[in-house]
Amino acid sequence: MRKSIFIFLSFLLIGAMVATGSALAASSIVVAQDTPPRMMNPHGDDSDAGLQYMANFFDGLLQRTGPGGKLGPALATRWEHPDLLTWKFYLRKGVKFHNGNPFTAADVKFSFERLSNPEVSEFLNTGKSIESINIIDDYTVEIKTKKPIPWFANNMHQVFIMDKESTEARDQGDVMVKPVGTGAYKLEEWVKGSYVRMSANEEYWEGAPSLKKVEVRPIKESSTRFAALVSGQVGIVTGIPVELFDKVKKNPKLEIISRAARRSIFLALGNKPGSPMADIRVRKAMYMAINEDEIIEKIMRGHATPAAQIPDPPTIGYNGDIKRLKYDPEEAKKLLKEAGYEKGFEVTLSGPNDRYVQDAKIAEAVARYLAKVGIKAKLDVKPKSIFFPDVAEGKLEFYLIGWFDGTFDMGRTYFKLAHSRDRDKGYGGLNGAAYGDPAIDKLLESTADIVDPPKRKETLEKLNAMAMTDKIIWIPLHYQEDLYAVNKGRGITFNPRPDRWMVYKEISKK
Amino acid sequence: MAAYIARRMIQGLIVLLAVSMICFVIFRYMGDPVVTMAGRYATFDEREEVRHMLGLDQPIYVQYWRFISNAAHGNFGKSYVSRVPALGLILERFPATFELACTAVIMAFAIGVILGVVVALKPYAMRNRLIMTASLGGISIPTFLMGILLIMVFSVYLGMLPPFGRGDTVQVGAWRTGFLTLSGIKHLILPAATLAMYQLAVLLRLTRAGMREVLTEEYIKTAWAKGLSPMKVIFKHALRNVLIPVVTITGLQFGEVIAFSIVTETIFQWPGMGNLLLTSMYESDRPVVVTYIMMVAVIIITLNIVVDILYALINPKIRYE
Amino acid sequence: MNNHLIKSRMLYSYLHDPSAIIGSLILVVFITAAILAPWITSHDPYDLEKVSLEHFLTPPVWMEEGMAQFPLGTDDQGRGILSTIVYGCRTSLIVGFGVVLIAGTFGIFMGLLAGYYGGWLDSVTMRLADTFFSFSTTLMAFLLLGVFGPKGIMIVIIAICMADWVRYARTMRGSVLEVKEEAYVMAARATGAKDLRILLRHILPNAIAPIFVVMAVDLAVVIMLEATLSFLGVGVPLTKPSLGMMIAIGKNYIYAGMWWMIVFPGAALIFLVVGINLFADWLREELNPKIERKA
Repeated sequence: MRKSIFIFLSFLLIGAMVATGSALAASSIVVAQDTPPRMMNPHGDDSDAGLQYMANFFDGLLQRTGPGGKLGPALATRWEHPDLLTWKFYLRKGVKFHNGNPFTAADVKFSFERLSNPEVSEFLNTGKSIESINIIDDYTVEIKTKKPIPWFANNMHQVFIMDKESTEARDQGDVMVKPVGTGAYKLEEWVKGSYVRMSANEEYWEGAPSLKKVEVRPIKESSTRFAALVSGQVGIVTGIPVELFDKVKKNPKLEIISRAARRSIFLALGNKPGSPMADIRVRKAMYMAINEDEIIEKIMRGHATPAAQIPDPPTIGYNGDIKRLKYDPEEAKKLLKEAGYEKGFEVTLSGPNDRYVQDAKIAEAVARYLAKVGIKAKLDVKPKSIFFPDVAEGKLEFYLIGWFDGTFDMGRTYFKLAHSRDRDKGYGGLNGAAYGDPAIDKLLESTADIVDPPKRKETLEKLNAMAMTDKIIWIPLHYQEDLYAVNKGRGITFNPRPDRWMVYKEISKK
Repeated sequence: MAAYIARRMIQGLIVLLAVSMICFVIFRYMGDPVVTMAGRYATFDEREEVRHMLGLDQPIYVQYWRFISNAAHGNFGKSYVSRVPALGLILERFPATFELACTAVIMAFAIGVILGVVVALKPYAMRNRLIMTASLGGISIPTFLMGILLIMVFSVYLGMLPPFGRGDTVQVGAWRTGFLTLSGIKHLILPAATLAMYQLAVLLRLTRAGMREVLTEEYIKTAWAKGLSPMKVIFKHALRNVLIPVVTITGLQFGEVIAFSIVTETIFQWPGMGNLLLTSMYESDRPVVVTYIMMVAVIIITLNIVVDILYALINPKIRYE
Repeated sequence: MNNHLIKSRMLYSYLHDPSAIIGSLILVVFITAAILAPWITSHDPYDLEKVSLEHFLTPPVWMEEGMAQFPLGTDDQGRGILSTIVYGCRTSLIVGFGVVLIAGTFGIFMGLLAGYYGGWLDSVTMRLADTFFSFSTTLMAFLLLGVFGPKGIMIVIIAICMADWVRYARTMRGSVLEVKEEAYVMAARATGAKDLRILLRHILPNAIAPIFVVMAVDLAVVIMLEATLSFLGVGVPLTKPSLGMMIAIGKNYIYAGMWWMIVFPGAALIFLVVGINLFADWLREELNPKIERKA
């Protein structure tokens, strides 16, 4: 009796080992990413960290491809913008969801209406901006917005289409963990906190992807991710920590792939009347007191490029004529003296400590530079879940933040960050220091109706120049750099996207 | 006896309610989930809608009452981050934490007690003195430092053992286990050793001290004199008496085990409940944190009651009125 | 009474026990270093103005690229490891002694009352104590600080005291329960002495002995706890790192081969705690035969 139990258990053990072993062998690639997916509901997380997972299981009406993130057709083959409020999409025929259901306009209408439901969606703003969705026929949809939104189509690569029938039929908990989309990959297994395994959708409308099996291991600790790479357990690692960069470079088995990120890191300053920062000279002084080159060299280890503004070059509104102010602490002290703050003043510098590359360290360094010109900055760094609500409430004096806009349009960003806080119109929702300037507001509001691209570009660039040079709304620091490392010798071809999404149909292996 | 049990249970319930109330009050200071949940581009009105949906615009006693009445039905709310029931999220990770904690406790108990006995028998032998010195180190090195040192030695420099995750796991029914794969076992070694180290040292010292005392007692000397075999003497008589305080302390140290497992899980990125707690705290995921605390409270209170009852059974004289 | 004899006996045993002397010596060294911190360090690593990124991540002086100015190397913000360790020890000791004093005083007080008066006061106090204690000091401190955030040393001390007072109360209560029945206490009561006088003059001095052991052990426990909390990021603020936080910062660099950021603070922490534990061990042995050990 004992003997047979023993034999049985050994078989079980061997069988389990073999089973898991073979699963790994067939896996085409293992990737270590820095963030895990929160859920398999494509509307529930509007952060890029979450959306990138969804981009593998779902498709949007449009998609962005190529190094410039060019907007192109996906589930919609073309689109039109007949008037200020209307957007018409012509849908692709013959597309199937993972469960076999055909993709039709009804699914589009369902998905967009779902965006307004706060229980399942973080895209409330997009959902609520829609007035109506008309199904003209099975493959044509017309969306009308409540107000003119020039960047509406630009956002369509982030809004994913779900299968109406199966989403309504299942219970919400199931929807949160099992994705049914049209995407290039089907979810095989999601063990929370450990891995996400996906396999190729052979019937994908764009053609089956070349990588047949992908395993993503979310590893939060950067040094642990590095260890996984060095030990050969993973093929690609996203988000190499800057301090380990040299180690990776020296390792002949590894290859670094870097690209300038779209995200810019900057400091926002309030301008309450009577406060020191209401004086433009003080703002200029603070700008000049910070040694950004040293921050880039020492804290970012050279993996950042100095920024003179918030939008990055491909964004409409980027103004190449704006230049950074030079680092000049002596001049800064002079300006402070002129403004009557020779002895300096006290200010609280807030920021997140778990959101951007080296965020807390950058804030620390900024505090130190300011201390050297007499400004006593008290550091208040906290987790992003506490920091961002503070920003939303506009209670901060002076803080560090980063931004990039998936729509490639500066207007949307400015309405949230630069416009004075206006509850009724819904502007300035993330204007954390309650900055307000009537000239900026006026010029910004005038862009809301401009859809003609050249005119839009011109006005936004003008606004940008006013904001950065005349008003110094923010002190720009740098653009981050995205760093990836690949294990050479596995024949992996990987071109990172500008938005840092890991979309596996774009990666191939020999 | 039944009355005693009933009374303890009622007291336990009161404590539970008190804990939940304190939790609730404290978590008002824990950050506002509305901003993240409404999305980056939400307007003030859209945020208000989310606030209303979460019931966060109600006065606190209303929120508390809703929480309690829901909890009585087993509904602890949905995680703000993952939008699935908080209790389910936590329970999903229970197997991982349980396997880690059990392995560690067994390691600590077995090695600690046995070594404690060995050392007590010949306190001045060289080997035993070394063991005692090592145990001094064991209680002087905080768990997190132990974990990091183990990683440095065994993963970074020797490359022998993996420093993160559970490795490959097998789903057996509702339980996801790491015991059935070589990779799973390899991944268990460092975290379990880290978690066990402190407890092991404490148990070692405790057992040794207890044994030393007991070995000088009259009845032990009598047994020696009677000519009983040394093994029998040790295990049947001495050890049994030492074990009672040892076991009690181990039982009551449960809170410590939970606390230290949080640290260990964080360092090794072990996907257990402790790791979830830490990430939830950083993300201000109130439902998960509150549920976790309530769960821990329930377990600890139950454990206390059980230990008290056992004590009362063993010695009818010891009973709080 | 026989206090005089006891004290001279203790002194004798102390002078003849190497581990006791070593332990207390280590402790004295650390305390002295902590007090003299501003004078013995080359710079104040907590002062933002004095620290500069220029010399960050330098290895210890005996390795190549090391600098004499920073004998043990620097961390990633340019703080000298040696200086930060000295200041960090300060934090550890302040938190340690702070908790022992505050939790100790409160616990002794509660234990005295509970043990002496008994009745409902006793059972309520003990119930309360049980609840706090079963959550374990670590868990409670962690949860409290996790919610309120790293706002400074005072908050850390308070959070730890929340559950730590229990061990003092329990020990005191047990001790009081015994002393209560002693002849001299009965005598004092019989002569009509007031409760307060009995408590302070007769009970307290005779019941206090085991508390000293608890204090010594607790000091070590609290220092380790502060290090753990800081490591997790819920202890001291980022700009004033204590030993635990130094290790947290250094953890990210072990794969890059920059071991000094962990090894030196770690060693300092271990030394300090070992010193305290050695002394506590001796103390426990000393006071043991006279009093029953408490859990």
